[in-house]
Amino acid sequence: MALPMRGLLGSWMMVNMMALAVLPVHAQEAQAAPESTVQPAAKPQTVTVTSTRDPVDKSYRKMIRGMERFERDHALAPQATLRFRLLPRLPTVDMHGITLKVVGDRITVPVPVAEDNSFTLPRNEQALREDAAVIANRKTTSMTWRAQVVTPGLPPDMRRLGDLRLECLVGVEAGLVSNSSPLFGWISSALNSPEQVCNSADGNFLFFTERPLFSVTLRAGERTEILPFRMLYAGGDQTRDELQYCDCQVMLDRTYYAPIWDRSWPDDTLVSFAYMEDAPAPASAPAEGMP
Amino acid sequence: MKRFHACLIGALLLAGCATQAPPPGTVVAPERFGQLVVPGRTTRAELLAAFGPTRSVSFDSGYQAWLYSAGAAGGASGKGGEELVLLLDRDGIVRKMRRRPAYPTDGQR
Repeated sequence: MALPMRGLLGSWMMVNMMALAVLPVHAQEAQAAPESTVQPAAKPQTVTVTSTRDPVDKSYRKMIRGMERFERDHALAPQATLRFRLLPRLPTVDMHGITLKVVGDRITVPVPVAEDNSFTLPRNEQALREDAAVIANRKTTSMTWRAQVVTPGLPPDMRRLGDLRLECLVGVEAGLVSNSSPLFGWISSALNSPEQVCNSADGNFLFFTERPLFSVTLRAGERTEILPFRMLYAGGDQTRDELQYCDCQVMLDRTYYAPIWDRSWPDDTLVSFAYMEDAPAPASAPAEGMP
Repeated sequence: MKRFHACLIGALLLAGCATQAPPPGTVVAPERFGQLVVPGRTTRAELLAAFGPTRSVSFDSGYQAWLYSAGAAGGASGKGGEELVLLLDRDGIVRKMRRRPAYPTDGQR
């Protein structure tokens, strides 16, 4: 069932990529316009660019809307907190030392990024008025973004389905999934509202684990089910050519679909993971007599 | 402009409809599979010789996940039957195996 929609999304991505090839030209023109005052012919015109707004940088307004969505639907994960997280999108991207800032016309707000590349966004009314962008010091297409909703106290290698449901709603509301472009925003918004994506088996919202994944098991009371193969690895049928349009491109072995649309699984359902390789043993204590 | 948008949507919908569902894994006899496949020992060549090629996913790490079906044909597509999934390492040796039984809710997804 998921495949026709994935094919459709793939087609959108193709069109979006073509659109992106055109957009920077318009973006440059739009930015250059205020500077195009008449200059003396002998004096070369100098323009100082302190930051650039990529057409697909994340919208600060949308991300704040995602945070508001988190508050509205907090009942899905009452104990959880919200962070956003940066994830690799291209194999060449260096995910260490990333800096992030909210950039408007006249305002710049630095955003601290944690070691795991997660962050929270401050609410800033001026940045909202100026329709600021959230910009990282990496090429926009080199990373993807997700909401991170985690209920504290869960065992390791385990998630809670209500947390994942809320991650989907916030992530779509905030426009975090890569490969969308403003040119087709009106279409993608119409086709991909949070409800449409997160409440449908065809929603295709991808989740990622911390390590390469071998199996996913759902547990709710006495009911236990292993997810089918088609819900791992982005369906397991992507060709190399198709993968470049998926924001799972370099995380294919960490990718899974959770049945967030299936209300027969309660929010308290535990989602546990078995990985391809067992966790490295914790460092053993030094032997007696050793320094 | 409206005509352009209509054409665009139509073309994309057609492209989406043209996508085929992935084939399920090769159907095998579960008893024979259980006898022949031993994690840590069975190789890719032995799998191919015993059961033939099947649906698989290759990862940048060099690992591969192979999917076989037991029981009813088409079981791995979620319509009944058991899934047998193998993890092959970079050297082509089976590292892990898991079985997923058919669940009553499979047909509802």
